[in-house]
Amino acid sequence: MSAQLFLDGVHRSFDGFKAINNLTLSVDKGDLRAVIGPNGAGKTTMMDIITGKTRPDGGEVLWNMSTDLTRLDEAAVANLGIGRKFQKPTVFETHSVEDNIRLALKAPRGVFATLFHRSDKAEEARVTALLDQIRLTHLRTEDAANLSHGQKQWLEIGMLLAQEPDLLLVDEPAAGMTDAETMETAELLKSIAGQRTVIVVEHDMDFVRALDCRVTVLHQGSVLAEGSLDHVSARDDVIEVYLGR
Amino acid sequence: MLLRPYLRLLALCLAMLTPLAASAQTLDELVARLPDGSYDDRAAVVAEIAATGDPRALAVLEALLEGELEQRNSDGRIVIVGGTRRAPTGTDALTGEELGELGRRATERIRVNNSLRRTIRTAMGVMTLRDPDPARRLAAAEAALRSPAVEQLDALDAAMQAEELDYIREAQTLAHAATILASDADTETKIEAVGVIAGAPALTVQSTLNAYRAAEDPALAEAVADAIDAAERRQALWGQAQNLWFGLSLGSVLLLAAIGLAITFGVMGVINLAHGELVMLGAYTTFVVQETIRTHAPEYFGWSLAIAVPLAFLFVGAVGVAIERGIVRHLYGRPLETLLATWGVSLILQQAVRSVFGPTNREVGTPDWMSGAFQLGEMTVTWPRVAIVVFSLTVFFGLLLTMRYSAMGLQMRAVTQNRAMAANLGIRTGRVDALTFGLGAGIAGLAGVALSQIDNVSPNLGQGYIIDSFLVVVFGGVGNLWGTLAAAMSLGVANKFLEPWAGAVLGKILILIFIILFIQKRPRGLFPQRGRAAEG
Amino acid sequence: MSKLIDLRMGLFLAALFIVTVLVPIASTLDEGSAVAIPSYLIPLMGKYLCYAILAVALDLCWGYAGILSLGHGAFFALGGYAIGMHLMREIGARGVYANPDLPDFMVFLGWDELPWFWYGFDWFPFAAVMALLVPGALAFVFGWFAFRSRVSGVYLSIITQALTFALLLAFFRNEMGFGGNNGLTDFRDVLGFSLSAPSTRIALFVLTALALAACLVIAKAITVSKAGKVLVAVRDAESRTRFMGYRVENYSVFVFTVSAMMAGLAGALYVPQVGIINPGEFAPANSIEIVVWVALGGRGTLVGAAIGALVVVAVESWLTANFPDLWLFALGALFIVVVLWMPNGILGLVEKLRFRRAKAPAKTEAPA
Ligand SMILES: Nc1ncnc2c1ncn2[C@@H]1O[C@H](COP(=O)(O)OP(=O)(O)OP(=O)(O)O)[C@@H](O)[C@H]1O
Ligand SMILES: [Mg+2]
Repeated sequence: MSAQLFLDGVHRSFDGFKAINNLTLSVDKGDLRAVIGPNGAGKTTMMDIITGKTRPDGGEVLWNMSTDLTRLDEAAVANLGIGRKFQKPTVFETHSVEDNIRLALKAPRGVFATLFHRSDKAEEARVTALLDQIRLTHLRTEDAANLSHGQKQWLEIGMLLAQEPDLLLVDEPAAGMTDAETMETAELLKSIAGQRTVIVVEHDMDFVRALDCRVTVLHQGSVLAEGSLDHVSARDDVIEVYLGR
Repeated sequence: MLLRPYLRLLALCLAMLTPLAASAQTLDELVARLPDGSYDDRAAVVAEIAATGDPRALAVLEALLEGELEQRNSDGRIVIVGGTRRAPTGTDALTGEELGELGRRATERIRVNNSLRRTIRTAMGVMTLRDPDPARRLAAAEAALRSPAVEQLDALDAAMQAEELDYIREAQTLAHAATILASDADTETKIEAVGVIAGAPALTVQSTLNAYRAAEDPALAEAVADAIDAAERRQALWGQAQNLWFGLSLGSVLLLAAIGLAITFGVMGVINLAHGELVMLGAYTTFVVQETIRTHAPEYFGWSLAIAVPLAFLFVGAVGVAIERGIVRHLYGRPLETLLATWGVSLILQQAVRSVFGPTNREVGTPDWMSGAFQLGEMTVTWPRVAIVVFSLTVFFGLLLTMRYSAMGLQMRAVTQNRAMAANLGIRTGRVDALTFGLGAGIAGLAGVALSQIDNVSPNLGQGYIIDSFLVVVFGGVGNLWGTLAAAMSLGVANKFLEPWAGAVLGKILILIFIILFIQKRPRGLFPQRGRAAEG
Repeated sequence: MSKLIDLRMGLFLAALFIVTVLVPIASTLDEGSAVAIPSYLIPLMGKYLCYAILAVALDLCWGYAGILSLGHGAFFALGGYAIGMHLMREIGARGVYANPDLPDFMVFLGWDELPWFWYGFDWFPFAAVMALLVPGALAFVFGWFAFRSRVSGVYLSIITQALTFALLLAFFRNEMGFGGNNGLTDFRDVLGFSLSAPSTRIALFVLTALALAACLVIAKAITVSKAGKVLVAVRDAESRTRFMGYRVENYSVFVFTVSAMMAGLAGALYVPQVGIINPGEFAPANSIEIVVWVALGGRGTLVGAAIGALVVVAVESWLTANFPDLWLFALGALFIVVVLWMPNGILGLVEKLRFRRAKAPAKTEAPA
């Protein structure tokens, strides 16, 4: 097996409630993977565990089959090349849009590295290109606090791209976007996949269909079904989970 | 010559043991005989006076001892002389009748010498041993224990037999045993006496027996040493108990000071740095209540605390509501700003109190029913401490029940957990906020009433408690009342156990350092609140 | 990224420069002259500048990194004690007990040798380094524990307050070897120059002004660097910063330590000018007062913090001299007013007025 990310029998409960229950999941390098599931299925918690925010009670999360992510903290996981976009968009509100991108750019993260950092032409060009890509060039010097919800989503995607991670964890990127923007986001993620690995959590089925990729259905903290969207949505148990209750 | 004291004693004892004989001569007759004869004759009369058991006798003997008993030349009446040397006045020794000015040289002093004085003292001791007033009887027995005199042995025996109150008889038994040790009784009797004394409180054992450590008789010395050792061991054990008790009472003080914060900070998340000053206002409320009672109705002073409790709760609670409505409500969700603004409030309250009541300590009294102490094994328990422990636990459980079962408590929890939802359910969140804050403040006021009994009531009173209270709440786990209780009690006890070992100041520093380290290890305290919201 | 010296920084530095040049000149003028400054006022003004440095130090960690330290008075006092110890050694045998080896208070306590932690303080450079190093080291160790365990917000404020309270109690003890209750005082001279000589006073004043300028520039350099942006990011969305790979605790420890060293510097300059350092400087209330200087001037503006300190301290001097009862009312009210109605302080108000005049859309400042 050469999975880039491999969750092996992960458990996590909150006050006796099993949010993640024997979850096993493997994603290969360059894959695009959609994770769906009803509210409270444990999707966000899964991302919390991968990124070091939440410690699992048991199980392993292997990175490149060698590093156990559950022993690392958030910064260490991020520095391995794992980037994350949050369900609730979080950008640095008092920084300008371009500074948000600058802070995210792949570069040494140490105190003294940033203290003596000088920006150069290449860096400026990269910022400009990213702003173009997320279509926020006209808001370049605006404080991020003044952006709309959708713009913040885009900015966060831009920040994620600026980090140039090997694995992108994207939690509900389409929330707050127009239909057209949703499709654009899907295209963007598809174009990124291949060189990088992308895991997307989303409730919007049109978006998932547009991604046109392997889908994992999470339910009560473990994998219920996996396969193409058509395959999983034809399964009775999946339909029951989504509609039955 | 040597025999004389014994003879006197014999007379005394005979007199004591044979009340019939004593009644043969009345006090009046005996007193009349006092001026006559030699010192020895006088001593015999003194013994007989003591034997009458007449309550008036004590005053006569006392006057005689002080050299104030004189005989009037004109009619031979025995008078107690007072007033000045120039203008002496007299009272009849027996009837207490005021005789007015006596005129100089109108009376003749009844003389006493040292040996007679000793006799008088013993006689007085013996008399008070059988005084009708139990308190005086007890005092006499205790005095006899402190300075055991062989002369009293039989009197003590007799008193023990006649005594009806257990605790006095116990004291007499001890005194009796101590007297035996001082007498020339045989070793066996003395060892028995040591056994009796060994059962007394450790301090008494030590003070009574220490002198016999080096007794010539090895068996006696050994018994004494054993008894003292056992007492010391017992004392060490009780010392720990005493520490625990002091710790719990300090913990209760901390708890009282912290409970209000547990509401405002723990439940509402409001950092109220004026909390200490609210406590201070409670203490001043007590002061004002007592002043008013003192000037208008001093007979109700015993009720002053009972009156101050509700008043302090209401008054300080109202101040709290005003602070919440005026300032704090504009700052929800901005803890650092709240901290600064409430610090401003605390400065203003401090200065206001200083301007009104002055910068010095004000005197707050303790009602009689609360003062005093009782003995529990080897330790002395003072009533104010008991009162504070009881009061603080009462407030704690009262609050716990209020939060859990009352409609108000339910609304409070609803609002703090989900403000928007609570508002949609028709709860007037603004009102609940104000009342919750007022409740926390009111409890701070209650703490003030209690602290006025043990601390100096000055404008700085609150400052001494604010850091401690915050540490207690944080240490216990914010939002958890039981945690606050556990934290207050464990910090109080830890403090008291560190004190003898490290000194008060160093002990306090060690506790502070411990809490600082603890918070860094477990930022959410002993009993952290759980759930996603808590992770923020 | 932003310029190192912007308009308000430039204005402030220029004003500071003018004062620094004029005050020494004015102090040498004839007593009769209208603008003459009596020599005793110079240390007072120097003291104010020390407070300004302290305010800049706190603004660096509160305004930019969101670390509301309620213990900066402790770092200030530690710096002061370090220099105070040197000044005690310089007294030599001129003390009341004329003991060449021991400071007076140790003779008084009946000690017969110098405690080990007083070694080296005879030598000025050592004391000067210690004035920065001791507060820095304390901040580093304390911050390392605190930030690594993710203590932040009010919890951090409370434990910094507890820290300074613990130090207060400790320094009150005679056994600590720092003069107990009375602290260190009766200094004679520094580096051989008499502390009461006007020329020494002027030199110390100028030195303080230079230190203030240097601290402002250093603080500004930190805040405009990329590291400064990271600090603001930490302030606004700490966990987001972590997920981007920044070690938040390292940044916090860094800025906390730098800030503590600045506070230590302020204390070190303060002591020779006021002539005493005692445990009262550790009082929690002192540390909290610093916060209102910063808040009044304008949090996160550096220059504003310095201005806030100067304004509050000047008003304090005047009120305590003329209406001593009013001072605490005024200070208390200031806390409330600033928090409720002036979230961006004096500089925020000035900014607002300028924008209103220019009819430009108001720019939102850092939320509290
Ligand atoms: N820190 C926490 N403390 C307590 N419970 C938690 C915590 N984190 C997650 N949970 C619980 O775990 C369960 C899974 O939550 P999670 O956020 O992972 O769901 P999700 O699949 O992302 O849902 P959604 O689609 O609504 O975002 C939920 O019931 C949630 O309440
Ligand atoms: Mg989710």
